[in-house]
Amino acid sequence: MDLMSKLTISASMLLTGFAIVFGVLLFLILVIWGYGRIISSAQTKASNRTKKRAKIEKIAVKTVEKSGNMAAPVKTKPVITPKTSDEISDELVAVISAAVYSIYGSKDKVKIKSIKKSSGRSAWANAGVLHNTRPF
Amino acid sequence: MEIIQNFIDAIVGIFRESGLMSLGWQNYVMIAVACVLFFLAIKKQYEPLLLLPIAFGMLLVNLYPSIMAAPETTLMSAEECIAAKGTVEGYATTIMDGVTYYNVPHYGGLFYYLYQGVKLGIYPPLIFLGVGAMTDFGPLIANPKSFILGAAAQIGIFVTFIGAIFLGFTNAQSGAISIIGGADGPTAIFVTTKLAPELLGSIAIAAYSYMALVPIIQPPIMRALTTKKERAVVMEQLRPVSKLEKIIFPVVIVVIISILLPDAAPLVGMLMFGNLLKESGVCDRLSKTAQNELMNIITIFLGTTVGATATGANFLSFNTLKIIALGLIAFMMGSAFGVVFGKLMYKFTGGKVNPLIGSAGVSAVPMAARVSQKVGQEENPGNFLLMHAMGPNVAGVIGSAVAAGVLLNVLK
Repeated sequence: MDLMSKLTISASMLLTGFAIVFGVLLFLILVIWGYGRIISSAQTKASNRTKKRAKIEKIAVKTVEKSGNMAAPVKTKPVITPKTSDEISDELVAVISAAVYSIYGSKDKVKIKSIKKSSGRSAWANAGVLHNTRPF
Repeated sequence: MEIIQNFIDAIVGIFRESGLMSLGWQNYVMIAVACVLFFLAIKKQYEPLLLLPIAFGMLLVNLYPSIMAAPETTLMSAEECIAAKGTVEGYATTIMDGVTYYNVPHYGGLFYYLYQGVKLGIYPPLIFLGVGAMTDFGPLIANPKSFILGAAAQIGIFVTFIGAIFLGFTNAQSGAISIIGGADGPTAIFVTTKLAPELLGSIAIAAYSYMALVPIIQPPIMRALTTKKERAVVMEQLRPVSKLEKIIFPVVIVVIISILLPDAAPLVGMLMFGNLLKESGVCDRLSKTAQNELMNIITIFLGTTVGATATGANFLSFNTLKIIALGLIAFMMGSAFGVVFGKLMYKFTGGKVNPLIGSAGVSAVPMAARVSQKVGQEENPGNFLLMHAMGPNVAGVIGSAVAAGVLLNVLK
């Protein structure tokens, strides 16, 4: 192969490779970004709809209560629930309560007064992150 | 007396058949090379899952070359066939010039048959199936811009192609050598079997050796091309990716790549199939098999048979040295271009992207991402770049498959 043919094949391969690899991957960026946006907005709409429905149901219950058409409330012992923020789900409260109960049992009188989400990363979480991201 | 003579004949026959008589000096050199690879795999733990089978295949083929021998058929006359086999029954016949000959088959060696999976391009896509089932594309979906870094790291492939052409390799051979820069073993094997099967041993060994040496090769390049300030950048946390997005991703990728670059379809298709098995959540058994048993079996077959292509006559040549040098250049260029594009992204985003994640664009998963994490933590111990680097890292797998498709399409 003479020098000219070597230069020709080298330049055409560099140009073709560069153009196709970048072209295809840039196209993929657009596609992934696009469908990510579509799915995110669809999911946000769905969650808004659920919230709206819950709000309507709440208003409906209140209206029925005001009109006095409700059955007499059943008297039960008040259940003391721990103070929690909105971020903590009922399931999480149940799990934590069950864990506390499994340790102390019913004999010890233990109350969970509140469950709070800690702001920073705890020492245990830091240890976990370090363990999982330690390179070598 | 006759008994003693028979005994001596048998001993002489065994000696003549033994390796002591049939092996050349090249075989002994290759046995030594295999021992060095054993040391690197076992003691240094450099990619042991692949280096160990490769080294053992290399050892075995240089001790007993017939293990890679292709099957043959000998034409024998009736008398010769009876003398050799005791019968002519069961053998197919060929009539030439009115004489009947019997086709007596000689079966190939064990590795010859196992090697067909490499030669026919079966094993690399199956390895990709397992890789896909093990890969989380979440970081890439959360930050699709990572694809730019995955593409940038492939530039090394095409630059090295030029070097190979000027060192006297043919176009096809140059394409096969340059793919080492993709730092992806199965892709390198897939491309080499199609473009330059005669170089398979050297290319596979160079590719896997450099992948094992990622923690040694990349950090000096990364440090040289970045400033202290750039290396200390803490990136924002990635957005959570929904399950639906993860399920759609493999389907979208396989459709686009297969339509645009059909030559990359076997690799990308199997990669995405494996990923869909994992993300769909309804094929747990298949996903686990692809990740474990199938992957392990194919790794054994692939490693031993690729190692078995490295016979003394094939491997010990000046070309191997050139391939090793070009492979190193390809790998270094890929890492460097990744970091340079990382720096560009750092500039364009106003310092939000740490350029160190660019070197992870070479697809050595997850080693290259871990190197980014390690170098980043040297500047700021509280910086966790691993998940950010996984985006370019998995983009690099797709990028190297696309680059392979380009090479195959242009040079085949």
